[in-house]
Amino acid sequence: MADSPSSQSSPMTHHKYSYHVENAGEGNHRAEKFLSAFAAILRHSNYRFIVELFARTTARCGRCAASCQVYQASNDPRDIPCYRTQLLLDVYRQYFTSSGQFRSRILGEDALSEAKMDEMAECFYRCMACRRCSIDCPLGLDHGLMTHLGRYILSEAGIAPKGLVVSVREQLEGATANTSAIPLPALLDNLEFLKDELRETKGASVDFPVDQENAEYIFFPAVSDYLMEADTLMGNAAVLHATGTSWTIGSQYFDGINYGLFYNDWILERIIHKLVGEARRLKAKKVLVGECGHAARSARQFVPTFAGDQNLPVVSVLELTWQAVKAGKLRLKPGVITERVTYHDPCNIARSGWIVDQPREILRSFVSDFVEMNPHGRENYCCGGGSGLVSLDETHDFRMKVSGKTKAEQIRASGAQIVATPCANCKKQLRELVDYYKLPVQIVGVHDLILRAVEL
Amino acid sequence: MPLLDLAGTQVEVDEDGFIQDPASWSEMLAAALAKMEDVENLTEDHWKVIKYLRTYYQQFGIAPMVRKLCKETGYDLKAIYELFPSGPAKGACKIAGLPKPTGCV
Repeated sequence: MADSPSSQSSPMTHHKYSYHVENAGEGNHRAEKFLSAFAAILRHSNYRFIVELFARTTARCGRCAASCQVYQASNDPRDIPCYRTQLLLDVYRQYFTSSGQFRSRILGEDALSEAKMDEMAECFYRCMACRRCSIDCPLGLDHGLMTHLGRYILSEAGIAPKGLVVSVREQLEGATANTSAIPLPALLDNLEFLKDELRETKGASVDFPVDQENAEYIFFPAVSDYLMEADTLMGNAAVLHATGTSWTIGSQYFDGINYGLFYNDWILERIIHKLVGEARRLKAKKVLVGECGHAARSARQFVPTFAGDQNLPVVSVLELTWQAVKAGKLRLKPGVITERVTYHDPCNIARSGWIVDQPREILRSFVSDFVEMNPHGRENYCCGGGSGLVSLDETHDFRMKVSGKTKAEQIRASGAQIVATPCANCKKQLRELVDYYKLPVQIVGVHDLILRAVEL
Repeated sequence: MPLLDLAGTQVEVDEDGFIQDPASWSEMLAAALAKMEDVENLTEDHWKVIKYLRTYYQQFGIAPMVRKLCKETGYDLKAIYELFPSGPAKGACKIAGLPKPTGCV
């Protein structure tokens, strides 16, 4: 857009959606691309059976409206989960079922319009794919999966948030091979710094091993932790040190993030291959994922799917720490944390029930004043920035006023002074909520608190 | 990419106002960028942070870890937010002419 008028007051350009998109203009054969991508996905994946089932069963009873925090805050009917799912199912019925094609011909229904494309592009990015509505759906529909499929097809038609696309490009094709574009020398410098900090604050020599072959675990945190979350990483390393665990960081690939989970299946698969490739290069026995909800879920769920005969177990650092606490291998001093603490469940690890009790048992073992938000665990409310939205600064207003409103109210009602949450995405969103709603709390990782209490 | 008239020069910026070519940065440009980030005047404290960020970026090609920034400049995170209301990544880095942070930052 070299011909854009310059402006002293604002550098912002006009944007079609509530997020930035690279080269997605109208008249770009978007609808045709959307339909051909949809057709290919239905032909070459198992989505056909799911979409067909959803198309037959969805009753639009609206029960999901009551469980969706976005709709509760916005009161916009477009935010009701089954309404959003219907957008995609309408296209499916009209173009990919014989009755729909027949009906379409008889009634002369319009082809997939630009307006409908725009509506899908907007609606599928007003959902955090938190899947809270799936708990309450009487027919067992997973609207989060439909959001994912809708985004997948849109991305094949060229519509995907620039913030995610640019990060993935660097991770898959860039020189640094990670979403935050951290060069290896900077990573090594950070690790040296963390080591010095641990020596200064804990008086212990804790190592951050790099490229150690045959380690028990190869460690993949959300790579942004290496810029933003020093205390979380030091807490992780302190636990691994205290338990005598053999572990390593891979110099060629050290990012746990997988934005493919948010918008595109084949990208998800390619990122899994990179992670597994690095684990195999260093002959690690297991993958250890740091404090990050979507990184943990994407690896846990999809390493077995895509790694084939290279498969290896995936463990969350919360599981490892919990095992150590249970086995009495970790000395966490009670009385160090005097503040009132609550725990925020990242949707990607809590909704399925995978990691709900473990962090609570860890925290309760050394935090004397632990309180719960209501609801919590499997029925938690999302931070309001899930499914990649938090990485899109331009969605800030929506995340504060609409999607994160319920969470802010919950945090305030808890009376907690500290919210511990093991997810880079949630931490960032919650800190922005704290700032926006002037909440008197501090947002930290679970291992940040462990770091304060651990005896080395 | 949009062009922005900053300190009398046309500079290419992205949608969020980050300059596209780190080489086009100058102290005058920093002052102009600062105004967009609700920093009216760049004080000695601001310059200390900006200069550290630039030195680190020139050596490593990325911003330093936030904790390292605090330690090396002597300002805690609260002080950094007081200096740069939009924070270390989006505020201080933008004024210092670093590229827009990507990923979960």
